[in-house]
Amino acid sequence: MAYDDLGSFLSTLDEQGQLLRITDEVMPEPDIAAAANAASRLGENAPALYFDNVKGFTDARIAMNVHGSWANHALALGLPKDTGVKAQVDEFIARWANFPVKPVWRDDPPWANNTQTGEDVNIFEVLPLIRLNDGDGGFYLDKAAVVSKDPEDPENSGKQNVGIYRIEVKGTRKLALQPVPMHDIAQHLRKAEQVGDDLPIAITLGNDPVISIVASTPMEYDQNEYELAGALRGEPAPIAKSPLHGLPVPWGSEVVIEGVIEARKREIEGPFGEFTGHYSGGRNMTVIRIDRISYRDDPIFEHLYLGMPWTEIDYLMAANTCVPLYEQLKKDYPEVQAVNAMYTHGLVVIVSTKTRYGGFAKAVGMRVLTLPHGLGYAATVIVVDDDVDPFNLPQVMWALSTKMNPAGDLIQVPNLPVLALAPQADTPGIVDKLIIDATTPIAPDHRGNYDNQVHDLPEMGQWLTKLQQLAANR
Amino acid sequence: MTTNVICPRCAFDTIEQLYTSPIPGVWEVLQCQQCLYCWRTSEPARRTDRDAYPDDFKMTVDDIVNATEVPTIPPLLAKTRS
Repeated sequence: MAYDDLGSFLSTLDEQGQLLRITDEVMPEPDIAAAANAASRLGENAPALYFDNVKGFTDARIAMNVHGSWANHALALGLPKDTGVKAQVDEFIARWANFPVKPVWRDDPPWANNTQTGEDVNIFEVLPLIRLNDGDGGFYLDKAAVVSKDPEDPENSGKQNVGIYRIEVKGTRKLALQPVPMHDIAQHLRKAEQVGDDLPIAITLGNDPVISIVASTPMEYDQNEYELAGALRGEPAPIAKSPLHGLPVPWGSEVVIEGVIEARKREIEGPFGEFTGHYSGGRNMTVIRIDRISYRDDPIFEHLYLGMPWTEIDYLMAANTCVPLYEQLKKDYPEVQAVNAMYTHGLVVIVSTKTRYGGFAKAVGMRVLTLPHGLGYAATVIVVDDDVDPFNLPQVMWALSTKMNPAGDLIQVPNLPVLALAPQADTPGIVDKLIIDATTPIAPDHRGNYDNQVHDLPEMGQWLTKLQQLAANR
Repeated sequence: MTTNVICPRCAFDTIEQLYTSPIPGVWEVLQCQQCLYCWRTSEPARRTDRDAYPDDFKMTVDDIVNATEVPTIPPLLAKTRS
């Protein structure tokens, strides 16, 4: 069953025992962020959190950690909550095969019920904003799906973009947004700014869970996120036109903020504790003027804590980073079996592949570096044989332990692009990248002493099933 | 404008009030007019009090002046679109 809004998904989480309601009064800071930080330490079945008794507020409703576990991620995709990680990635791949599924326009979005415009805009009156980490420069929105169009091709729905970017609240109607140069909105902004134009945007908050997943999926520039949402949901995603700019926004959002990124303007922003588990420094960042806020009656503020991994963002950007990389690699190299890019949004990528001939795995590794997402990520690529499951880290470590000889299997490529937030770069944005070939050398690469490998016994599979049944019936 | 408050982060003394708690008198949201640090007065001292604010997070005028541009502002082209 597809969810059309956040509220219906929260109801399912509640029914499935995956939503904890915190009814005691809490301080806006540090309690809510600390609780969400703690939730991610509960493990792979951690619940979402819901707060409605926040000191100083009269009617705050705050949802945290909504995608913050494999159980919640499974439920977001309509799968049983105990679905395994690899099975979730495989299901994501299977549904991707149905892409694109066009969205459907739907009338009367609930967020049209209430409006603030112009000088009357005050974001603090609409959202119970809270601060996250100690070194953050202010209040942030970090789970909003931001909608924009290509200013040079505004009618091309493929080139429109729905993405999650960090946004700092810097005034009652002033925001800052971080367009990482590798991300699509940066291309929109550049095209607008080079002719001196503002870039109209819609910032949508509190979305159905699939919108958050597609908005954080590294799709290709001309791929439409709503069309992926339809494929993942199994039915078209409902959208509506934003009232001020006519941008396509989710029908079910809690809040829709419209405004512009003001052309050629930058102002001090940050720092902010980022998905890398490190603070970004203070930078001069874009400035957004809010012109209109549309919002539901009694909106829920959905927010995301991020810190020392893993936290919610790591679950949100796990399967959806693996799958597009897998799809893009597979086009050129059908030997590729699986891609695990779920560590820090793919700063490490592990690929399992069959090998055609000696040196093949290294070529696959180099292709990862030149994929669109690889340009900004993929600081380290590990290539393993097809019988190694890249999601099974003990197996990956076995491959590194026995298949990798630093003399010929480490390829360091100097001065490649990486997103500026990657803290290992001496000059932000430029880094050496590493390919580790942990596959078994094959002819004409005769390095090493690889006699026959030990394989699982042919009868092992039957016994595995039998033992599982015996264990289950104890 | 709020008086007698300095920015915990950069020690600037011009601080504006952005918002106050819907239940009156519980907290205020303040913002430094130099480094734009923004905080709620009910937060722990490590986030609100200059003396308790961690050195690692402090910001200077030099930091602000030398902050890099993200993203870089592109060269202005002649408008070709109508």
